[in-house]
Amino acid sequence: MSDATLATPTGASALEHGEVLVRDAVPAALISMRDIWKTYQMGSEEVHALHGVSFDVQKGEYVAIIGPSGSGKSTLMNLIGCLDTPSKGEYWINGKNVSEMDDDELARIRNKEVGFVFQTFNLLARATALHNVELPLIYAGMSSTERHEKAKQSLAAVELTDRMMHKPNELSGGQRQRVAIARALVNHPSILLADEPTGALDTHTSYEIMNLFEKLHSEGNTIIVVTHEPDIAARAYRVISIRDGMIEKDERLR
Amino acid sequence: MPKAEELHRKELTIADADAIRREAASLAGVSPIHRLISATLRYEDKQTDTPVLIGATPYYEFVHSQYVDHGRWISDGDMEARSNICIPGVDVAHALFPYEDPLDKDIKINGNTYRVVGLMEPLGNFFGQSRDNTVFIPITTYDKYYPDLPSPESAFFIIARPISRAYVKSAMDEVTEILRRQRRVRPGDTDNFAVTSQDSLLDIYNQLTGATALVLTAVSFVALMIGGIGVMNIMLVSVTERTREIGIRKAVGATRGNILSQFLVEAVCLTAIGGVAGLIVGEVASLLVNKYSPLPAFVPLWAIAIGLGISAAVGIIFGLWPAWKAARLDPIEALRYE
Repeated sequence: MSDATLATPTGASALEHGEVLVRDAVPAALISMRDIWKTYQMGSEEVHALHGVSFDVQKGEYVAIIGPSGSGKSTLMNLIGCLDTPSKGEYWINGKNVSEMDDDELARIRNKEVGFVFQTFNLLARATALHNVELPLIYAGMSSTERHEKAKQSLAAVELTDRMMHKPNELSGGQRQRVAIARALVNHPSILLADEPTGALDTHTSYEIMNLFEKLHSEGNTIIVVTHEPDIAARAYRVISIRDGMIEKDERLR
Repeated sequence: MPKAEELHRKELTIADADAIRREAASLAGVSPIHRLISATLRYEDKQTDTPVLIGATPYYEFVHSQYVDHGRWISDGDMEARSNICIPGVDVAHALFPYEDPLDKDIKINGNTYRVVGLMEPLGNFFGQSRDNTVFIPITTYDKYYPDLPSPESAFFIIARPISRAYVKSAMDEVTEILRRQRRVRPGDTDNFAVTSQDSLLDIYNQLTGATALVLTAVSFVALMIGGIGVMNIMLVSVTERTREIGIRKAVGATRGNILSQFLVEAVCLTAIGGVAGLIVGEVASLLVNKYSPLPAFVPLWAIAIGLGISAAVGIIFGLWPAWKAARLDPIEALRYE
């Protein structure tokens, strides 16, 4: 892909002598979705969860994806997070074409490029906060001393140094979500992908978590928050509204 | 059960033994013995009722490869004179002479006085039966005191030793031949005596233990299958219970291989712990058998290696399917699992 400079916007070669044919141009954006379709087979019927969605996210952006339930926003989140592949279209993340990857390649992309934050935290119940944060580094094949060091740094970044050896059931909801955020960031992913990150938290704690996101954004992290709550979306700098599997609006707030 | 003919056979005699010694070329030695099932021995205030009384010849030591430890064995002179001398085994010596040297002491055997002239070397146990609870006297002296004791209380055997292992078969043929002549068995009639070799005893022993081992192997194979299915069941339950955990692990970057090996390692740990537990039970059982039963028992190293190897293999074989199921879970579905 080092010859990407030769490519044209149509993706086809325009060289007069035709020696080099470059099919895909590597997009400059961190995330690039091009005409993404996702189709499910429901009995004999085909259901289109996404109808040709296209957008780019640049490095350092803070984007909210908003839409009512059934709009296709969960499907979109799964695709952005590389948990799933599109039926049609191309998805590039950090210069890599994810669209046609197999399970194990996707696992590696999730490990390196995506940091997940879930509504229900999804921490390992029987493991300490430290071990939970170390988990992605284990699958990255890092040595245990290095893992420890990085996990501690990451927990310090979310101000949980003193709760390192606690298990999730010994932590409050806000603390659990901060552990999940530390886990998401520990491997320095390209994007932090949060799915309803405040959905299980009270107003005050939600506010704290959103402040933490704001801080992480100011430190240069790229953040995508999927939500159905307008006031959470309002904290972002750009809002993409999804309805019936299509982008309805894509507006910059600030 | 012995047949009627066997119960009414004519006894072997010392003359038969002499004939064999004279004529059989493939034999290195012949030892006739008379054996009394038990005798009462007494020395001063000590008494024992259990020892086996054996009337033997000077050939006994060589033929049986059992030798006097100190003192002397039965001599030709003892045979001639029918002298009252005896050679006790270790158990008898311990019972009658706990603190003294038995040599040159006079003891009573069934009321008759004998001089102790030697001590038999220790022979150990065979199937839990001590081989040292014996006392030897010259066979001629035995005949003097017990001329007409009926079988089986008193029994007569002729034990012979071939020149080497290679002569076992020809020695048996020769002995059969000589005894048929001695006992006037007509050509075509069946033998009215029995000749056996240590090999045939060994064969019976091997057949018995071999059959036991086979049955036990079959039983343990069935047990392993049942155990393996149990392990598979537990692992399947574990995979279902931990669906969400698998989803989380996959979301943060675990590949199918990572998940597969995690569950395989767990299954192998499970069965290896079982293996170690089995090993401990086996070791304890063999110690108990050794201590409280006549059978010698111990756990050889190769059995430990095979036991642990097979239990680990059971973990891999029966853990593979559950682990594969876990590895193939769709991360989206798994994360949504309640």
